[in-house]
Amino acid sequence: MKTVFIIITLLLFMGCAKEVKPWEKETLAKQTMEDGGGNSLIKQFEEHIYFSKEASKGGGGVAGGGCGCN
Amino acid sequence: MKYLIVTLMLMSNIWAYDVGDSLSEEMVSHLELKDDKVYVVDFFASWCGSCQKELPLMTKANLNLNHDEVEIIGIDVDKDPQKAARFQEALKAEGHLNFRVINDPQNLIIAKFNPLGMPTLYYIKNKKVLKIITGAIDNIDQQIHNDLKMMR
Repeated sequence: MKTVFIIITLLLFMGCAKEVKPWEKETLAKQTMEDGGGNSLIKQFEEHIYFSKEASKGGGGVAGGGCGCN
Repeated sequence: MKYLIVTLMLMSNIWAYDVGDSLSEEMVSHLELKDDKVYVVDFFASWCGSCQKELPLMTKANLNLNHDEVEIIGIDVDKDPQKAARFQEALKAEGHLNFRVINDPQNLIIAKFNPLGMPTLYYIKNKKVLKIITGAIDNIDQQIHNDLKMMR
């Protein structure tokens, strides 16, 4: 009985762990989903601080442009 | 216990077309594939930046193909058909789309292929998947020609 209860509970929670497929990332690919909400000035400002603290430039972005590539 | 594991595996939808797999008859008729012809199936969407960079190169590759032997098919996975139509019209107006496109607004086709990312290319011949390229490649037009040479 206990095992059945655990299994049913786990099955109910499976919906919470739904994977977002690459073709479902339209909203995530929007510019407003980027750091700074798509505001280029905020992004520029944050990058300026990041690069000054790290004493380096570049490498702050991620590959794929948010569409699930690479 | 083993029935439970099998059930969970079936529910988790981990299945995807991989190299060497044969497409279902339903998929073959949906994509209108014929035997003895190589098909390059490209999944793209209007919101995918890498796809937008790749499509003009695919169009360039398509110009130099022998269309009796090879066909490029685009699958637009945009959920909004009007958005998809606008995107395709804009590409055609710029001369960046010269191959057949199948719209997949309900994502039924791409869900069967289940690629790891977008854009993804599938080379298909005699209903079998020969090769998969996931993600955008800078010189995809050259890559397609090289791949097709190897497959002849």
